[in-house]
Amino acid sequence: MQWRNSLVPRLLDNLIWVILILTALGFSLVAKQFFTPYNLINVFLHSSVLGLLVIGQSFTLMTGNFDLSAEATLALTAVIGAWMMIEAPLGANWMLDPWLVVPIMLLIGGLIGAANGYLITRVNMNNFIVTMAMQIALRGAVYIWTQGQTLTGLPKSFAWLGGGQWGPIPVSVVVAILAFIAAHFVLAYRPSGREFYAVGGNPDAAKAAGIDPKRVIMKAYIISGVMAAFAGWMLAGRLESVIPKLGEGMIFEVFAAAVIGGVSLNGGRGTMIGAFGGVLLLSVIDSGLNLMQVSPFWINTIRGLVILLAMFIDSQKERFRLVGAKPAAKEVSKAA
Amino acid sequence: MTAPLVELRAITKTFPGVLALKGVDLEVMPGEIHGLVGKNGAGKSTLVSVLTGLLRPDRGEVRINGRTLQSFDRRTTIEAGIGLVPQQVRLVPYLTVAENIFCGKLPTNRTGNVDWKQVYDRAQAILDSLNVPVAATTPAGELKVAEQKMVAIAQALSSDMKLIVLDEPTAALPRDDAEIMFSFIRKLKDRGVSFIYISHHLDEVFAVCDRVTVMRDGARIGTYPVSELDMPKLVQLISGANVENYTRRTEMADGPVVLEVKHLTREGAFYDINLTVRRGEVVGLAGLQGSGASEMMRAIYGLEPATGGEIRVDGQPVTIAHTLAALNSGIAWVPDDRRRFGIVGLRPIRENIALSVLHRLTVSLGFYSPRRERALAEQYVNDLNIVTPSLDQPVEFLSGGNQQKVLFARVAAVKPRVLLLDQPAQGVDVQAKAEIFRIVDMMSREGIAVVLYSSEINELLDNCDRILVFREGRIRAEIAAGTPEATEPQILLLAEGG
Repeated sequence: MQWRNSLVPRLLDNLIWVILILTALGFSLVAKQFFTPYNLINVFLHSSVLGLLVIGQSFTLMTGNFDLSAEATLALTAVIGAWMMIEAPLGANWMLDPWLVVPIMLLIGGLIGAANGYLITRVNMNNFIVTMAMQIALRGAVYIWTQGQTLTGLPKSFAWLGGGQWGPIPVSVVVAILAFIAAHFVLAYRPSGREFYAVGGNPDAAKAAGIDPKRVIMKAYIISGVMAAFAGWMLAGRLESVIPKLGEGMIFEVFAAAVIGGVSLNGGRGTMIGAFGGVLLLSVIDSGLNLMQVSPFWINTIRGLVILLAMFIDSQKERFRLVGAKPAAKEVSKAA
Repeated sequence: MTAPLVELRAITKTFPGVLALKGVDLEVMPGEIHGLVGKNGAGKSTLVSVLTGLLRPDRGEVRINGRTLQSFDRRTTIEAGIGLVPQQVRLVPYLTVAENIFCGKLPTNRTGNVDWKQVYDRAQAILDSLNVPVAATTPAGELKVAEQKMVAIAQALSSDMKLIVLDEPTAALPRDDAEIMFSFIRKLKDRGVSFIYISHHLDEVFAVCDRVTVMRDGARIGTYPVSELDMPKLVQLISGANVENYTRRTEMADGPVVLEVKHLTREGAFYDINLTVRRGEVVGLAGLQGSGASEMMRAIYGLEPATGGEIRVDGQPVTIAHTLAALNSGIAWVPDDRRRFGIVGLRPIRENIALSVLHRLTVSLGFYSPRRERALAEQYVNDLNIVTPSLDQPVEFLSGGNQQKVLFARVAAVKPRVLLLDQPAQGVDVQAKAEIFRIVDMMSREGIAVVLYSSEINELLDNCDRILVFREGRIRAEIAAGTPEATEPQILLLAEGG
């Protein structure tokens, strides 16, 4: 029985890689171009901005929270950054150096996250309402700031992260992978990594064990905000411009990727490696459908179905886990 | 002689590995208030669950008004007239009293809409006829606890209940409101309603009950008219004659004082508590639920900080506003509710054990060391004999006793000076209980000052050097182990206030 007890949860935790490989093999059968270097780089390129957002989101999810405002944080920080670097009338005409602008963008992202965290942990407001309201307000602010227009003329050095190449490899791909490794390191090799899991798994017990759940949740939201700003920098660089719709609708893909990758919406469970797999799977599906020349209308429908399937797997996972492991003996005290 | 309203005959019920009820009989007459008393785990709740149709007995039968109950579900027993008012009444706070009374059966008019005039008129009539001093239009959330319980009883009576089971009806009630409750129940009794009255407060049993049935270890000890009993006799019946004496050897009781608490107070919970615990000493706390013992430990641990008084560890005054401050002062706590405050169920054993010492398990640059975490967990799994297939097993898949040992491993890893234990052996089997107290003894012999609260006085007598008896938020007595007063009936008597 021992092998079953460890194998079943392990397989469920790594289910994403099994599905990913099967999906990729499936696409390669129907679309010959799938396993070409060009296409595989494309898959990773698609994954990079999404990946940065998923990293931030995973931290909030692991504490049993979520951040709906991430995509609007991405847009607003990108707009402010561009505004500081370009000419009037759409810019401030400050023509600031990207070396100064990027830290400011990350700081603003962190402050937005801190505001979310403060309202949720200290004012005891509901996390859905807070981050949804923040999402609406920030997106509105983006339109005010840009007057609904596209900001162009970004410095080359700023666009390097999103558009630069090292030989055939896009810079953004390398950076996104490094970010996943760093995030994995924080979760596995920092004392605070265990705290995220404990707070998400049982905040009362975490508190009783000497951990401050409010501080940990605050930290998760700040990370989410900073990662959103980071993603804003990357996306603006890739497009070499900032449109007011930047990142609109991405939040759903972010959730889907995290959940498909095994990060539980109930908190307390999930790994960065799994989340990375979730991001890749979504990109593989997008790319495969494109290669098969499926109509764009269908692509959205299929994406929606994939997200539903992901939620379904998440809801069924606990049942399989219980089948695999021996549940605790019924407690007598309850009945007696 | 009138026929009994309810008869339970030879009810037997087993749970996996446990015989919860051993052929129990019970008779309740019309218009009788029938007390049901016994220790935790004596089988009271199981018996009531059978009567209310929540549990099917393995053997035996339930007769209501002479008719044998055929199927065991709540609907059948409601139709038979068995009402239940649980310890914690749950009314919908935003709905009015009348809406709560008619919840799920609101009277309608001819068009199928709710007939609100009838709702309020009938509800008010019910309340008035029972002398419940409450307006039917009041939102239930604005009622006092006693009023909520009366409304719950009115709700039961409005559906024509013949017998109402009251589970700890005065729990969380101030004294005056309890008196109002008693006269309310007596008045209903005069109108022919029967009650089964479950309470740990034995003085209440004497105040309101006609007869009382005593249960112990799943068996009925006997049914007695209260007029033939007195408090010591009843306590004796509840605890059984086999009073076990203290067995733990006291060796280090004259060591230095480690924990000193002076005038500790939290309004509404406990007042002016003074206690000292020496190095290697195990001090027991006795008291009913809500007596302040458990609350005091939570205050010392910083979960619900005290509002006044002083705490010293090794002679140094400490300020404890949160749990981390307590841990840093060398104070650790094992919770009574391990599912809520103890385990992080879906995380593996090794993480649960390491949870309070994360910042000590680091290598250079503050990086966490999963290898040291594993080594720590391995050591405690061996030392405390935790039965598990692997260190990666989520704690929720362990048995209750092993979960509790994981929590002991967590606090032991802190290397505390003071260990606060809130019902550490609650809901675990006999063998695990013995192992847990072996761990407590072991930790105290390593020099830790231990404070142990338990509702099982036998546990205290067997494992403590001294016992402090709490009642209504204050320490009422101190009993040293081995003295003639160190017996279960004596301590129960002090805790009950008889």
